[in-house]
Amino acid sequence: MLNSAPAATAPVLDVRNLALRFKDTPANIVDGISFSVREGETLCIVGESGCGKSVTALALMGLLPRSVARVTSGTAMFGGSDLLTLPQRAMADIRGNTISMIFQEPMTSLNPSYRIGEQIGEVVLRHKRVTRAQARQRALEMLDRVRIPAAASRLDDYPHELSGGMRQRVMIAMALANDPALLIADEPTTALDVTIQAQIVDLIEELQKETGTALIMITHDLGVVAEIADRVSVMYAGHIVEEGPVEAIFDDPQHPYTIGLMSSVPSIGPRSGRLATIGGLVPTIDRMPSGCRFSPRCPFVQADCLKAHAPLSTFGPEHRAACYFAPLETVFAEAAS
Amino acid sequence: MLSYIARRLVIAVPTLILVSVFVFVLQKLLPGDPALVLAGEERDPEVLEFIREKYRLNDPVIYQYFHWMKAMLQGDLGISLRTQQPVATLIADKLPVTIQLAIMAMVIAFAIGIPAGILSAVHKGTAVDYIANFIALSGLSIPNFWLGIMLILLVSVQLGWLPASGYESPFTDPVKSLQTMIMPGFVLGTALAATLMRHTRSAMLGVMKADYIRTARAKGVLENAVIIKHAFRNALLPIVTLSALLFGELLAGAVLTEQIFTIPGFGKLIVDAVFTRDYAVVQGIVMCTAAGFILMNLIADVLYFLLNPRMRSSL
Ligand SMILES: Nc1ncnc2c1ncn2[C@@H]1O[C@H](COP(=O)(O)OP(=O)(O)O)[C@@H](O)[C@H]1O
Ligand SMILES: [Mg+2]
Repeated sequence: MLNSAPAATAPVLDVRNLALRFKDTPANIVDGISFSVREGETLCIVGESGCGKSVTALALMGLLPRSVARVTSGTAMFGGSDLLTLPQRAMADIRGNTISMIFQEPMTSLNPSYRIGEQIGEVVLRHKRVTRAQARQRALEMLDRVRIPAAASRLDDYPHELSGGMRQRVMIAMALANDPALLIADEPTTALDVTIQAQIVDLIEELQKETGTALIMITHDLGVVAEIADRVSVMYAGHIVEEGPVEAIFDDPQHPYTIGLMSSVPSIGPRSGRLATIGGLVPTIDRMPSGCRFSPRCPFVQADCLKAHAPLSTFGPEHRAACYFAPLETVFAEAAS
Repeated sequence: MLSYIARRLVIAVPTLILVSVFVFVLQKLLPGDPALVLAGEERDPEVLEFIREKYRLNDPVIYQYFHWMKAMLQGDLGISLRTQQPVATLIADKLPVTIQLAIMAMVIAFAIGIPAGILSAVHKGTAVDYIANFIALSGLSIPNFWLGIMLILLVSVQLGWLPASGYESPFTDPVKSLQTMIMPGFVLGTALAATLMRHTRSAMLGVMKADYIRTARAKGVLENAVIIKHAFRNALLPIVTLSALLFGELLAGAVLTEQIFTIPGFGKLIVDAVFTRDYAVVQGIVMCTAAGFILMNLIADVLYFLLNPRMRSSL
């Protein structure tokens, strides 16, 4: 079932029951989510915009300022320590070194005042005992590896001299310069031209194969998921509603939200027609429904759904969904009889 | 780059001409007869006539203007009616004093304003921010003459630490020179520090929100380096531009401050010249100040270019 890593390998990152709350908001923006990712494996976190994917990633990186949001529960075990309770200094030693992150906005994510060679070199100098010359050499090597043509001549370019796709390559070079154990990519292609998107996804996939890094790819592009995911976690309004191997998610989705999501992708969607589109809007944080957060949009909603959200129940190897009525075939069968 | 500077210099010419016309006309409109001032107690019409003739006060105004311009282009700013010295010499004497004072004030303004601005931006909304803003507001609202007098009373009269007045060239006695400059420099510098602090704060607040700051943190860069290397470096642009302009203003002379500390700089020269209707000196100073201001503007632009890679490569 799993194609890349044997299930026995201990996860690189293991997030348990993570909850986050913004200051002055009545509910957790991310609530009790768990996921893990192993060496060489790609976990895709998918979900509509605003469901809490980025804040989750930032929280794991220790990049959510305490003044803005706080972790209200959970652990995130990485290399024997809990990222959520590590002191700031220890977290800074991890960032860019053993965990790296690339962002959605390549146009603005590089410092306009420094040459890209310097910016890549900086992350090496920060974490490794190297000379400036060695850091520069490493930067050159990385530019080559992210397939920037004529890398040596690009080293002294400023960010504004590069296109969006090139800048995202530079970000990837920077993120992988210290051979991290985990790479978090937060919608790395969303801001790019469609033609460039595929190149960047291919590049990330190839580099991951070469380095064996664990990859968390945050996206709402199911095409990307189909291409690179080993496992998928589907997020809805701060909850994980379904998780499983990519084949299971595409071929046998269990949660009504996942089913709706799949049917909105015509070419890959399974048994089309079950849920043409998902009506309604994602709930905002100040009017989060109690119980299942998808209930206001769910065509199968029952009284139970409003009381408490369903726990994740198992539907196959590593395949779980949080719905009282899954598999829905049972519901249909009952309704028909 | 060079062509850009050249272009800017060409643009500066009409500005200077405009200033010169303005200065000249304004002078002519002022009441009072310079010949009378010059003659002092003397009221002999013949003497007055001689003076008018000598200083071309009888010529049509337009002739006087062109005559003045022509001389000025040759570096001759005229002769002071009062002291009989060439205006150029007077200015050359006073300018170093004013420049020294301006530098002193700028150093103090930077030393206070920039760290305070950075701190209040980084600690936005905390006690640090409020205290810095309160001090800045005080700095802006306390009049220079009052602060100057208070400093003299406290530091010179009470404590006897620094001389209350006077001036010493840094080339003859550097220590004494510094001592005489500290208080006036502080008085001028604190007012500028407040302006500088507020601009630094707002520039830093803007920059700290940028995505590349998040990138720097994601690289594990420590917070101090994030603030200085990544944020402040990008906030520098507006700060540098502002500083050059503030420095230009300082060059125009700080009339009150120089008066209080009896510093023989531009400010004092201009006050004396105005009160004695010393036309040539006033005109010379204003032209000099205007040229200095334009120069500082140009320097601000050049620095802006040098600091901004995007602009640099567009040349
Ligand atoms: N500083 C903040 N204060 C309050 N709410 C915020 C803040 N930043 C983001 N949010 C909210 O948190 C939610 C999750 O945002 P995000 O993680 O960026 O979503 P995603 O990455 O899944 O599109 C959004 O609804 C957003 O409005
Ligand atoms: Mg996002």
